[in-house]
Amino acid sequence: MGMPPIAALEIGTSRTVVCVGEAGEDGKMRITGIGKYPTTGVRKGQVIDLQQAQLGVDTAAMEAEKAAGVDVWQVLMATSGGHIQSNHGNGQIPIRSSDRVVTREDVEEVTSIANETQLEIDRQVLHTIRQTYTLDDQPGILAPQGMRCNTLSFSTLIVHGQKNRIENVVNVAKSARLDVTDVAFSGVCAALAVLTPEQKKNGVVLIDFGGGTTNYVAYTNGIVSAIGSIAVGGDHITNDIALAFTIPLFRAEELKRSDGSAIIEPTGASRRIALPAEVGAAERSISYKALHAVINARMEETLKILRSRLEEAGVLIHLGAGCVLTGGGAYLRKLSELAQRTLGIPCKIGLPINVEGLVDKVEQPASYATVAGLIIYGQKTYEDTGLLSPLRKLIGKVFHS
Amino acid sequence: MNNEHQLPLILIGIGGGGSRLAAAIHQRYAEPMRIVCIDTDAMANREWSADAIPCLLIGAARLSGNGTGGDAVKGRLAIQDDIHLLHPHLQGVRTAVILTCMGAGTGSGVTPEVVSTLHEQGIATLCIATEPFDFEGPARRAIANRAQAMIEDHVDSLCSIKLDELFNATNEVQLPAAIASANEILASGVTLLWRLLTRPGFLSINAERLHSFIVQGGTATFGTVQATGADRATTLTKALCESQLLHAGESIKKANALLVGILAGSDLRLSEIGEIMKTLRGWCKPDCQIEMGTVMDASFEWRIEVVLFCFESTGAPLPDTKKVSSASPATVPSVPPAEVFHIQPGGARRNKGKSKLAVGATGKGKFQNVEPTIFNGQDLDIPTYIRKNIQLDR
Repeated sequence: MGMPPIAALEIGTSRTVVCVGEAGEDGKMRITGIGKYPTTGVRKGQVIDLQQAQLGVDTAAMEAEKAAGVDVWQVLMATSGGHIQSNHGNGQIPIRSSDRVVTREDVEEVTSIANETQLEIDRQVLHTIRQTYTLDDQPGILAPQGMRCNTLSFSTLIVHGQKNRIENVVNVAKSARLDVTDVAFSGVCAALAVLTPEQKKNGVVLIDFGGGTTNYVAYTNGIVSAIGSIAVGGDHITNDIALAFTIPLFRAEELKRSDGSAIIEPTGASRRIALPAEVGAAERSISYKALHAVINARMEETLKILRSRLEEAGVLIHLGAGCVLTGGGAYLRKLSELAQRTLGIPCKIGLPINVEGLVDKVEQPASYATVAGLIIYGQKTYEDTGLLSPLRKLIGKVFHS
Repeated sequence: MNNEHQLPLILIGIGGGGSRLAAAIHQRYAEPMRIVCIDTDAMANREWSADAIPCLLIGAARLSGNGTGGDAVKGRLAIQDDIHLLHPHLQGVRTAVILTCMGAGTGSGVTPEVVSTLHEQGIATLCIATEPFDFEGPARRAIANRAQAMIEDHVDSLCSIKLDELFNATNEVQLPAAIASANEILASGVTLLWRLLTRPGFLSINAERLHSFIVQGGTATFGTVQATGADRATTLTKALCESQLLHAGESIKKANALLVGILAGSDLRLSEIGEIMKTLRGWCKPDCQIEMGTVMDASFEWRIEVVLFCFESTGAPLPDTKKVSSASPATVPSVPPAEVFHIQPGGARRNKGKSKLAVGATGKGKFQNVEPTIFNGQDLDIPTYIRKNIQLDR
């Protein structure tokens, strides 16, 4: 029996998306249906009103069902937010055999020790990502079985989030009568959809600019080496503009999209943007330069925080393939330029090219990177286990990047 | 220009049922008023257009003017396609009254989107929505419930009327008469609201006061009764108490604010107003705010009609402005609307007892009541330009 259709759910801060995908004959996943609805009840990636968030899920799922012609009752979910963190888990064992050859049992034992890293009781493991083995003092070994050493070490990157917050997101789906088979970190999903094997091998960081959070995933030598999330996103830019010019949020959002820029553009510095008369305010205009200054301040700060995180993880100097920007926020004008300037590496927008039937079918395809990646994540899960079942619900799993 | 044109109040009929009611009110009011109907059905739209009512046919590219076939998703997509058509009608509007029928495709799909748009624009909205009959089944009820929850997220006051209760209130047995009578109840109530604002008698309600009642938020109920004869005031109060639409007086008892409109001829006596208001005052909570207005109509000799809106809110109390009294207008203290009904930047208003956007002293805007994002001791929810003290040449 072939792989069943896979449904993915992302309850974003500004939009809820349900996506259905099926495997094509070439094995590549094809998006067959998308449903979306503006999210209410979520701030900075966290559920603040379960009932309102559920409405978005209900409606988006219904739309996706119609488009794909399938009954959506089981979904994979993405989660993000400032509570998502990563730690390294380490294991080390002596090689006891007389010939000091590493056996399969040794590899399993050291992997098991590394995976057992204790987290605080309120933390939930989302992914356990393999790193490399070290034979005595020789790091960077990918397959140690059959090699000789006295001590075998192994490390994993454990991605985890606060248990209650993850369960709150899952409960939104449950309240919409959807069975959640697995939860994955949004950044990991976006990377699956957007990055190529070459980029991962050469070293790359993917930055996913969402409405309420900014997620990042860095690869070096083909392996995930840094992962994290900052609870700052496009909503912060909108909020900053609304406060700076005392305008409603919807107007600020419009301004951001139509006239916003991450860099203070030298041309048209004296230009002014007309604002229509609205309740409580007469017709007026605001400075183009001031608008850009507000956005630039926020984006430069966010990128500097990301740079410090990548420096702390020791990966910034290993990013030969540069930086790939994705998510809805990536479409902010001149953001690539600002990111390149701030991070000191080449930057470009990345589209979810690892799935079919999306890039040329929707507006701003980069904003669908997470759900597209979830579909690929589901495919990998199915290929690994043959199951998309509730048995794998919310358990830590080894993730092969 | 007539006063009506200056009223910052609009009537919006959505879908077949809502538009039919809006058209009935337009006909009954018989004077220029801000009104617009929104529908996905071209045939129905032509009907309202014939009455010189501006009608917006939405989703034409998607539905070809054939309606939604009861599919609320189609209704929602239709209004998302064409919401810009509504914007020109909202210029200068501060308060909107929406009429809609829940359970069908256009009413259930379109209304939440329209309410959301009005909320974003800072327009106070009273949504009068009918709920399906019980015999229409659980599927239709589920659609209505889902739409109602979406409406509640952005509406200021929601007046939800069960069709079963409305039709019971008509006391008509035969269906055509019952439908006509039900429409009459709704239309007369809303029409009187417009008349109170534009053709007041010696006691008036101004548009800003109505705005503040609606903005208070929460649920609203309304009922209307008529009486004739020598003891018509007594009959009226008894009928109000027994009104099914007012849940046999329970709505009055629970209300935080009452809006009372009295339509009568020149034979209306002050003692009759006193009796009605005294009875209502006796039923409602001591701190309930009552606003009353009268409309004089020569055709209402020997007859009194009362429309009563009961607002039950969990929000903060209304500004304590004028209380009802039998005093003449000259002695009623008037409050400058701009001082009392200030709208915060961002169209912030109380909604279900909580503000959606409060720009407070912290300058955090929409992030005021969420867990802060702290980095190196700085709260990143506060705009960067404020924290870094960047001077903006606005």
